[in-house]
Amino acid sequence: MAQSSVKKNSIDLILQHRRRTKTIRYCLYAILILLVLWSIEITIIKDTDWERIGGLGTILKGIARFFPPDLSLIRYLFKPTVETFMIAFLGTMLAIVLAIPVVWFGAHNITPNRALTYPIGRAAMTLSRSVHEIVWALIFVSAVGLGAFPGILAVSMRSIGFISKVTAESIEDVDRRPIEAIKAVGGNRFQVILFGVIPQVIPVFIGNAIFQWDINIRRATIMGLVGAGGLGLTLERQLLMYNHQGVTTVIIAILLIITLGEVISYYARKAVI
Amino acid sequence: MRSDEKKNLPSSFKAAVTEPRRTWSRFKYPQSVIRYCVYLVIFVFIVYSLEYLNVPVGRFFTMFGRLGDMVTKKYYPPEIPYVLQKDYLRYVLETVQMAYLGALFGILFSLPVSWFASFNVTPSRRFAYPVARFIIMASRSVHEMIWTIIFVIVIGFGMFPGVIALTMFSIGFAGKLFSEEIEAIKIGQVEAIRSTGANPFQVFIYAVLPQVRVALAGISIYTWDSAFRAATVLGYFGAGGMGWYLKESVERLETLRVSAILLTIVCLVVVSEVASAWARNRISKMK
Repeated sequence: MAQSSVKKNSIDLILQHRRRTKTIRYCLYAILILLVLWSIEITIIKDTDWERIGGLGTILKGIARFFPPDLSLIRYLFKPTVETFMIAFLGTMLAIVLAIPVVWFGAHNITPNRALTYPIGRAAMTLSRSVHEIVWALIFVSAVGLGAFPGILAVSMRSIGFISKVTAESIEDVDRRPIEAIKAVGGNRFQVILFGVIPQVIPVFIGNAIFQWDINIRRATIMGLVGAGGLGLTLERQLLMYNHQGVTTVIIAILLIITLGEVISYYARKAVI
Repeated sequence: MRSDEKKNLPSSFKAAVTEPRRTWSRFKYPQSVIRYCVYLVIFVFIVYSLEYLNVPVGRFFTMFGRLGDMVTKKYYPPEIPYVLQKDYLRYVLETVQMAYLGALFGILFSLPVSWFASFNVTPSRRFAYPVARFIIMASRSVHEMIWTIIFVIVIGFGMFPGVIALTMFSIGFAGKLFSEEIEAIKIGQVEAIRSTGANPFQVFIYAVLPQVRVALAGISIYTWDSAFRAATVLGYFGAGGMGWYLKESVERLETLRVSAILLTIVCLVVVSEVASAWARNRISKMK
């Protein structure tokens, strides 16, 4: 008798708990929906000039301006495409070089000084990832002038963060035994890193660098919009001339170069790992 | 003594009894040559592209001094009161809303798209699969800034084109991660539901979605985070939000304001990143 009452009590408790979580969940859903409605009201309904957009027909007419693609532009596209490709490549290479000290500082178990250099490494990673590539490009264009060089720098600054974050995380859960073996035969700190840590993380590092290269092609395509070279410059020129059909051609070129980059990066990553 | 013996032997025999190499090397003969060739090709390509792009390499080292000069003379101290005024803060809020809506719409659209684009559960491999793959690839490969420019041309200035551009960005971003997640599910449940006579939609709802629910929540938060990062500069090309202020200040060369705006962007993105990392951690613990 006593047992059953205890049981009943516990069942009641469970039911009560379930009901409470359910209420909380529905409240959360309600808040989410209200937030969405509020955002829609402010950003879409109030802020948009519906008069200017007009009906569906005007929008379709606006889209139709982009077709058919302007094929006469193709012969001017070869050089910027190669440039974009090279900007992404050089940017990734520079990022690989610059990521090494960041990884060294930012990995908790090999950092030279946990109180001083570890936060520096972490801050560098966050800063590099959090600033958008357009902002980096603006900074470097004002620092080194127009041309492909600021594009390379901006692309590399943006990708340092990702490469070094993933690599530092893989260094932090590296296998301890090779490190101890090298310490046991009398290796110093530097040799421990060189022979114990690096061989274990180099596939991760290179794999990520290739992945970043793939993304960097995408980033390099817009560098021209703020004055660094590549396909973005051609795009900007077409936009300024209101040649919307040319814009479509440039976008098709971007699609092609990115597909190519994806194929190459797929096989390169397969070869490395 | 041994080398003397070897000298007298016929050459064909000598090759057969080569002693093991004294120095250890990680890569054996054909691999090592391929490796060095790859290094050489990469190096040559670096030099060639530096030439092709006319990169002033020397400027790389003098750049730091100039950057330091620029920061201390022109960009310091940032004009903090400018970013504390009410209009700017309203724009910051609008940026958050824009990113929120864009990511939300993108995630909602990318659910069916990623369902079609996962090879193992797609309703039709011949038709839906390639179409969905193409949608994901196209929206991923066109940069969000180019989407913004296109939609600003079609629709006009304001936050609406920004929301649509972020939607396109999120479809590509979340769609790819979703479909990778769906392709890694266990097929047993799918077959069990299918054998009860369920149609593809029911299979997706009852067999696929429960398996990937937690991962989808994590990816959605990550998508929102990335969308917010993009939203901070979307205004630079005419969509709403704080990027508009950035463009205005950059073009008027009001560098103190630019540095203050950049400071707010960095702070906001770091806050959103910390929040999203915390939320993703909580969600992955729920697994």
